[in-house]
Amino acid sequence: MIAYLIRRIWQMIPTLLGVVLLVFFLFNWVGGDPAYVLAGKMASPEDIANIRHQLGIDRPLWEQLWIFIRQIVSGDFGDSWSTHEPVSQIFRTRLGPSMTLLIPLMILETAVAVLMALLVSAFRGSLLDRSLMVASTMVMSISLLVYIIVGQYVFASVLGWFPVKGWSQQLSQNLTTYAVLPVLLGLLVSVAPSLRLYRTFILDEVGQDYVRTARAKGVSETRILWVHVLRNAGIPIVTNLLMGLPALLTGAFLLERFFAIPGIGREIILAVERSDFPIIKAATVYVAMATLVANLLGDMLYRVLDPRVNLD
Amino acid sequence: MINHMAKRLIILLGCMVSLAYAATPEKVLHLELSAAETGFDPVATSDLNTAAIEQQLFEALLTYDYLARPVRLIPRLAATMPVVTDQGKTWVFTLKKGVYFCPDPVFKGQLREATAQDVVYTIMRFMDPKNRSPYKFLVDGKIIGLDELGDEARKSGHFNYNASIAGLEVLDRYTLKIRLKTTDYNFSHAMAQPMYGIVAREVIESYAGDTASHPVGTGPYRLGRWIRSSLIELEKNPNFRHEVWDFGSGSDPKLGSDPKNNPDPADARVIAQMKGKTIPQIDRIDIQVIEESQSAWLSFGKGELDMIGLAGQFAPMALTGDRLKPALIQRGIRLDRLIDPSIAYYFINQQDPVLGGMSRERIALRRAIFMAQNDEEMIRVIHKGQAFRNAYPIPDGVEGSDPNYRSVLNYNPREANHLLDQMGYAKGPDGYRRLPDGKPLSVRYTTSLSSQDRELDEMMKKSLDRLSIHFESEKLKFPEIIKAERQCRVQMRLSGWIADYPDGDNFMQLWYGPHIHENNGSCYQDPVWDRLYEKTLTMPASLQRDTIYRQLARLLELNGVTKVSTSHIRNVLSQPWLLGYKAHPILPSVWSYLDIDDTQRPKP
Repeated sequence: MIAYLIRRIWQMIPTLLGVVLLVFFLFNWVGGDPAYVLAGKMASPEDIANIRHQLGIDRPLWEQLWIFIRQIVSGDFGDSWSTHEPVSQIFRTRLGPSMTLLIPLMILETAVAVLMALLVSAFRGSLLDRSLMVASTMVMSISLLVYIIVGQYVFASVLGWFPVKGWSQQLSQNLTTYAVLPVLLGLLVSVAPSLRLYRTFILDEVGQDYVRTARAKGVSETRILWVHVLRNAGIPIVTNLLMGLPALLTGAFLLERFFAIPGIGREIILAVERSDFPIIKAATVYVAMATLVANLLGDMLYRVLDPRVNLD
Repeated sequence: MINHMAKRLIILLGCMVSLAYAATPEKVLHLELSAAETGFDPVATSDLNTAAIEQQLFEALLTYDYLARPVRLIPRLAATMPVVTDQGKTWVFTLKKGVYFCPDPVFKGQLREATAQDVVYTIMRFMDPKNRSPYKFLVDGKIIGLDELGDEARKSGHFNYNASIAGLEVLDRYTLKIRLKTTDYNFSHAMAQPMYGIVAREVIESYAGDTASHPVGTGPYRLGRWIRSSLIELEKNPNFRHEVWDFGSGSDPKLGSDPKNNPDPADARVIAQMKGKTIPQIDRIDIQVIEESQSAWLSFGKGELDMIGLAGQFAPMALTGDRLKPALIQRGIRLDRLIDPSIAYYFINQQDPVLGGMSRERIALRRAIFMAQNDEEMIRVIHKGQAFRNAYPIPDGVEGSDPNYRSVLNYNPREANHLLDQMGYAKGPDGYRRLPDGKPLSVRYTTSLSSQDRELDEMMKKSLDRLSIHFESEKLKFPEIIKAERQCRVQMRLSGWIADYPDGDNFMQLWYGPHIHENNGSCYQDPVWDRLYEKTLTMPASLQRDTIYRQLARLLELNGVTKVSTSHIRNVLSQPWLLGYKAHPILPSVWSYLDIDDTQRPKP
């Protein structure tokens, strides 16, 4: 197991390096020159040159790449080019609100999708199954933006059940007041594709021989579904779940923007608009690392879920 | 015995004062920002949202009268208006005495008075290359000796703030003489910008590297709680001097510029609500960053915001023509409407190999393209009616504007086609026009990736179709557009400019030859135009200068350089409990001049 872990971690290095090279060259190719925006409305070519020099983007590419690699190793990505705020502080302060929004959303989405998938699997081909699948397709077909605009207007403005927008410093108040509507709207969109996917995973298992054997032995349908089927369908579900984990680091841009939540999603989009490379670099590297770690975690969880899986 | 009674009396009085104080509810103003702030070091500020907050935190030497229209400069940190001599080359500012910075640990509990030396330090900071100030242009190349200090700093990497220069002379603790290299009657406007709010050297040095998080100014408010990109709370500056609200009525812009004969009736309400009150009346300002206009609109509807700038897409919901909808009037909501000191203008790159140049054919082609632009359609579709046709490069309300100017480039596709036919731009077999030498002709229009700019593309395509000219779309990210523009690589674009200060020069400089690679996006260089413009630089605002401005504007049209299209209308909605509000065209915020009647505010 330890040998496997070391091997996997060792394999992460070239993958990460590939990501770093891709991000670096993409940014330098299409990322835009921030100096022209930072210089303001009336700047001379000398002013632009001065800003480029201060940002270090007038240095040779290999030198800039080396600085990038050093930043990854040290974990210090410097300051935002637009606001001078340290990048580490941006992530430290903006990740909290994003997580407050996305962790409950992920938990709820998984729980609801798994429960409903089990339910429709038990009644496969029935009116309930077909209705839910049609409803899922319809719900998936509408953009999150529409849900947000309509949901905010109806539930927050007209009915007054939730605040239109806002965020506080207290986790409990955010969870019970400000995050509720955004989470519910996010759930409306995200639960449908998960439900369809999990239903497929579960139906794959329901048709297996071991289920028939269990039924022949007289095991109850509830036990078959909850214990045998769910455990075996767990591997792809866990994979799907873990693949979604890195997204926590990129926030939920639309929800954050409409509900004035000071999350990381807004910050990253703003950084892209402003060509604020330090933030873009940090976000990309963090997400790449999180993806690699989530992959590793997933492989290890397979072993827990299914002892037949041999990691060595 | 008497001593004992006196003590009791003092305690009793103390209790009464405390009770009275406790009984006075805190007045809180709830506002929104449409984009996140970028930090509160004035020297590094370039956006209006941040400037709005800095207007309350810092004080420049001068400011603009709250009610006067057209806008008028008045002293702020200065005790009086500057004494200007030597044909606008020498400016003497005298500071108010007893103006103190807000408390900060750097001052170690002592009151710190603002002095002339602080003004010198503040101005010098703009030339320090390390600060890479976006508003450096207001002093760049103007003050004797200051550019040289900047040049030295660029070479040595260190700006010498201790240097004495002839251009910035401290005459005494409160008096400063500024000597300019050349005549500049607009220098006073530079000294009224919130970015030129006075800072204390020890504060800046103490928080070096993080000055954006430590705004310490002399303004009516100081920074309270701050959650970056989310919430900014301003609280009263306890060291703010005693200042009384005492603005006189401005003039009614529809009637004339004389406030005595044509007072603005809206000002009477503002004056009645505010006159004689101490500045500021509001204890705390709670500013939330709300980037989506729907969220701001709904929050305002619920009374959670006291004032909002009405976004274009909500204008049809709030307004009928230029009036509020009856439902909003019934709720006591007020509309303040003014023409922004801004222009939207088309320009064509004069150095472009296809459209540029000064031959008769090229000039005719450019003029035809401009004449195919339907400005009324632009106002209807893009601005939802919240703009008006303005053909003059200097917008209404800005010194030098001309409401009677008649453009020669008004929408007239028939005339435009006729012009092209005359000049030999014949149609090819595909139905599209070709250059007189038979080569293909197309116009490349540069826009950003935003959804509104997609609509602009559609409109331009329609305009060029009217002339049977091929349309090409160039989509770039905003920083790339600016870069391409400065490198004279943009062929045609619809650009915008909002006044930094309310003088025609701030607009006319957009076409000045030496400003190519800076902000002369049309890359226009015409010795005749440049000499005329240079003449205006040494003139104070006057009829003579206006006459030259008209010549300059006409030349821009005749040479097919630019077509000024529209000016935007700003609509601000305020709740009935907000007192004393009048929209100001130049000041980024006027919050310290307002009050709140909490009895009218709905109880939660």
